[in-house]
Amino acid sequence: MTHLRTLGAAVALAIVLSSLPEPASAAEPKDKATMAGMTAMGKKLRVELGSSAAFARDGQLLAVAKQGDHLLLYRSGDQGANWSPPAIVNARPEAISGDGENRPKIAFTQDGGVLVSWTKPLGKPNTGEVRLARSDDGGASFTPPITVHRDRQEITHRFETMVVGGDGRIYLVWIDKRDLESAKATKKPYRGAAIYAAVSDDGGRSFKPEVKVADHSCECCRIATAVDTDGAPLILWRHVFEPNERDHALAKLKTDGTPASVERATFDRWKVDGCPHHGPALAVAPDGTRHAVWFNQKGGEGRAFYGRLTAGGIVGQRFVGGEQAARADIAIAGHRIGILWKEFDGERTQLHAEISEDGGASFKRLALGAASGASDHPRAITSGKDLFAYWRTELEGMRVFRLP
Amino acid sequence: MKRFVLISLLLVCATSAFAAAFVALDRKSARMLTDEATHTVPTIVALWSTDCPHCKKNLGLFADMVKADARLRLITVAVEPLSAEVSASLDRIRVPGVRYVYGADAPEAIAFALDPKWRGELPRTLFFDGHGNRIAISGAVDRASTRKSLGLADRR
Repeated sequence: MTHLRTLGAAVALAIVLSSLPEPASAAEPKDKATMAGMTAMGKKLRVELGSSAAFARDGQLLAVAKQGDHLLLYRSGDQGANWSPPAIVNARPEAISGDGENRPKIAFTQDGGVLVSWTKPLGKPNTGEVRLARSDDGGASFTPPITVHRDRQEITHRFETMVVGGDGRIYLVWIDKRDLESAKATKKPYRGAAIYAAVSDDGGRSFKPEVKVADHSCECCRIATAVDTDGAPLILWRHVFEPNERDHALAKLKTDGTPASVERATFDRWKVDGCPHHGPALAVAPDGTRHAVWFNQKGGEGRAFYGRLTAGGIVGQRFVGGEQAARADIAIAGHRIGILWKEFDGERTQLHAEISEDGGASFKRLALGAASGASDHPRAITSGKDLFAYWRTELEGMRVFRLP
Repeated sequence: MKRFVLISLLLVCATSAFAAAFVALDRKSARMLTDEATHTVPTIVALWSTDCPHCKKNLGLFADMVKADARLRLITVAVEPLSAEVSASLDRIRVPGVRYVYGADAPEAIAFALDPKWRGELPRTLFFDGHGNRIAISGAVDRASTRKSLGLADRR
């Protein structure tokens, strides 16, 4: 006990010391969004690094990140080497979720619009609304944000994701607890939360009333999206299968957002009454093969996995990286498949990639970089036939790596 | 009556002061906190976060068990920076024990130092039996498994 008291006193002293203004150094944050963590007193707070980036059709790279109660949109014409001064997405300040599993998103509409979506936390813990703003001038300015769902209870509508279907419809999909709350009110059991979707057929200017995709999702893992070869959106999420198996489910959505099908996608049978905080990622190859990465505990060991999802089960399931591999993402550009993940080596977080040029039969491995501070989940993004890694880190800012 | 009111006021002040005391972890202090050699009595180190409903269930159970058995010790680690919600969540279920939060060090470094086998799922609980042994369990636990993990299953 004495030992712990000493430890407590030492750490309390460390807090006081760390609250003093820090000298300028080579490790100063490069991007202004990272600077948001510094208060006027010089005390360093944890920055919410959750961020997204996407290439527009003209090759410009857009990235969105949180700074205080605003989302800022950055633009790069040279694949992330330099970034423009940011544009403000939400002119009126509001609360914004900006962690790795619940980050702002960017999408491009077929009529030239830029969309940014995010979750706005409400007053009660774990509650939120799904918000969306549209730009008609390439991201220089945005319309006032709208809430995409009609249900306005102060409950969970969080962990939104956004996908543009092949026909141009915009699909917003999120974790919703209205069914859990109803069950609680009538004292009935209900596993997990639910997945809901809202669809826009006018480029994100308005949304039809939301519909349920599935009951019994996990509560706080990101949802993965991809567009199938027929243009229909696919969504992959962590589900709570009976009694408490937190595996993944895959749904193909119809144009009204309801599911054409819901299938069990992974079979690791991780039985846990808990929150994995670790969502999957999905990409569809031109031949229709569905490539996925996900995290599960299997045989008592938590690991990142890769596999191809088929109606008959998973083909080629294997580990991604080593024991510490986490936060895997996947993208496909042309016939090339790129997988990213981070791996803590005991001192620093390493960013790794694997690339396959033969449909996932074999992969070559690359080391991309490292971060000694906090870092967001890496994002696999594409531009034409090129694959990139986008990684926002506390000390270095917004980093882009082209995968050779 | 006046004396009763005075004592009550002092207790409220003392409780508030205690509730506000959090210690921020870095990788070094996290490693020390979870070093088996430092725990000479049965100790629960409960990793939790404000957005994890199952964590609150575990914390409620651990709080009850520690209050009922003076041999046990509870240490909580919020795996997020200090906020009003962190404090309120522990106060709401009257969780005793030393309260840690994540400090400014890289979260992955703190997590690795706490438990290299832990991959971020919550709740995650480290049970020390006080004799140099440690068991880590992810997810909600019950009274019997907690006692067993603390090496108390056969003791009264």
